[in-house]
Amino acid sequence: MNFTSQLGGELRKLFSRQRTYIGYLVFLVFEALLLTLWVKVGREKIVEVAERNMIPADQLYSSLTSTYWIMGFSMFLIGSIFFALVAGDIVAKETEDGNLRMVLCRPISRLRVLLLKYIAVIIYTISFVIFVGISGYLMSLVAMGAGGGLFVWNPDMFILAVYPEWGEAFRRMALGAVFMGLSMCVVTSLAFFFSCFKMKPAAASVMALSVFFIDFVLQNIPFLSDYRDRFVTFRMSNWVYTLAEEIPWVRLTESYVILSGLCLTLFTLGWMAFQSRDFKT
Amino acid sequence: MLVARNLQKTFKGKPALKGVSFEVKKGEIYGLLGHNGAGKSTSLGIILGMIRPDGGEVEIGGESVQQNQGKALAKVGAIFESPAFYEYMSGWENLKVLVGLSGPFHEKEAREVVARVGLAERIHSKVGAYSHGMRQRLALAQSLLPEPDLLLLDEPTDGLDPEGIKWFRDFILDLRKERGMSVLFNSHLLAEVEQMCDRVAILKQGERVFEGSIETLRDDRLGLRISAEPREVLEKVVLAYGGESKEGRHFFPLGTEVPSLVHDLVVSGAQVSECTPIRRSLEDVYLEHTLS
Repeated sequence: MNFTSQLGGELRKLFSRQRTYIGYLVFLVFEALLLTLWVKVGREKIVEVAERNMIPADQLYSSLTSTYWIMGFSMFLIGSIFFALVAGDIVAKETEDGNLRMVLCRPISRLRVLLLKYIAVIIYTISFVIFVGISGYLMSLVAMGAGGGLFVWNPDMFILAVYPEWGEAFRRMALGAVFMGLSMCVVTSLAFFFSCFKMKPAAASVMALSVFFIDFVLQNIPFLSDYRDRFVTFRMSNWVYTLAEEIPWVRLTESYVILSGLCLTLFTLGWMAFQSRDFKT
Repeated sequence: MLVARNLQKTFKGKPALKGVSFEVKKGEIYGLLGHNGAGKSTSLGIILGMIRPDGGEVEIGGESVQQNQGKALAKVGAIFESPAFYEYMSGWENLKVLVGLSGPFHEKEAREVVARVGLAERIHSKVGAYSHGMRQRLALAQSLLPEPDLLLLDEPTDGLDPEGIKWFRDFILDLRKERGMSVLFNSHLLAEVEQMCDRVAILKQGERVFEGSIETLRDDRLGLRISAEPREVLEKVVLAYGGESKEGRHFFPLGTEVPSLVHDLVVSGAQVSECTPIRRSLEDVYLEHTLS
């Protein structure tokens, strides 16, 4: 049986639902709002920080810098909610609606059913992050015009980087978007994991978001700062290292190996729970 | 075609199936009868691998569902009481997604089946706009793709109008005639079972209390309508023949000699005004088995 065509069917189901697009719509509105604020007050702040660091500010107040700020601000807080909602739905909603009965009476293993669904939500997650990046950049282009470089300032991660050339700046931003997408797969995996258990779809999403936000709050408590690298949300934030002038590949690889291991573990545990369940007709 | 052996299942300490066995032969329509909670749906769930039995095994075409689900279900189609499709997709898209899980989707074959179930005109409409009858037709279409050897029907005619029920029944009977398909029919609609099934099993509280043909089920006892006075004498003689009385009707073990019975009634001093054989309805028999 053709795995690709079955995955195509799973993606068709995912992208045929209207609620899948609610996230896209909300993000467009949110990006427009952030961009407005950026244009109104962002310039002043950029100039201040740039001058303090003896960097020519005019070239760095650009559409790419704006895209970086929009993605950084919106994705972790708002994006995580959408990923948790979609991934929390993917198994639990089909169980609740009874669709899964129609699927499981087919000659297909439960592992394969879950694998198809998991790959579909991972594709959704990464494509969504890239969509936010592209739409944010297009909006910024309209508002601020083309050209200019990229100015990255992230005191939490100790990053201050300047890319005056558009080409290098764009490449870094694209790399950053891909790694940010990979980071967000953790939220997706967490919601998917809960979705495999016998619970309502909303409960799966809420559980995933609770774990995510508790981790986020804990890693930001000052007296736990020495242990930050033990927290998942800190590891997820490491995507920003792709924007550092010297990319710390060892550190980046370590973080993404840990995050991948976590995703794999969550999938395996979810599968074990799903495998042992009875689906009453 | 299908062999269920000693199926056992307990849900939260409550036994749902207590060693149920049955066999569906090739080309046979086999009915599973029983009240709600008798174990019919649990049996079907185990057959489809959706419920893991505590004991026992199901084989379809010689393959164990519990050991090799993929192979065992390769030639099985199933319809549920309330088929749940993806409402936001068209009937055709639903077919593509569901049939694609069994193997390649052949459009020509699908179009033929869709036309046969009478859904050709609405197959590209969203399922959310379908009536219950149309959903059942779509469920039938998906169960026939790819062509199965065994069809499992779980209360398929529930909620259909009389015309829809007749259409469905005729469709299944035609299929059996044309393709020699085996069917496991799970229902509590006795008239349907009576008209469709070759053999039935009656389940009661997780146990099989009867298995046999409809005729055997109906004719396992001799039924007589007897009017005689005084009634005490009638009851005494009925008991002496190992019979029982129910709402003016009397049932005796097969082989009871009716002339001898009437003779004994008269000798005992009863005035007999009527003694007529009665044919029990399937409902009578079913209730006797399930309520006893």
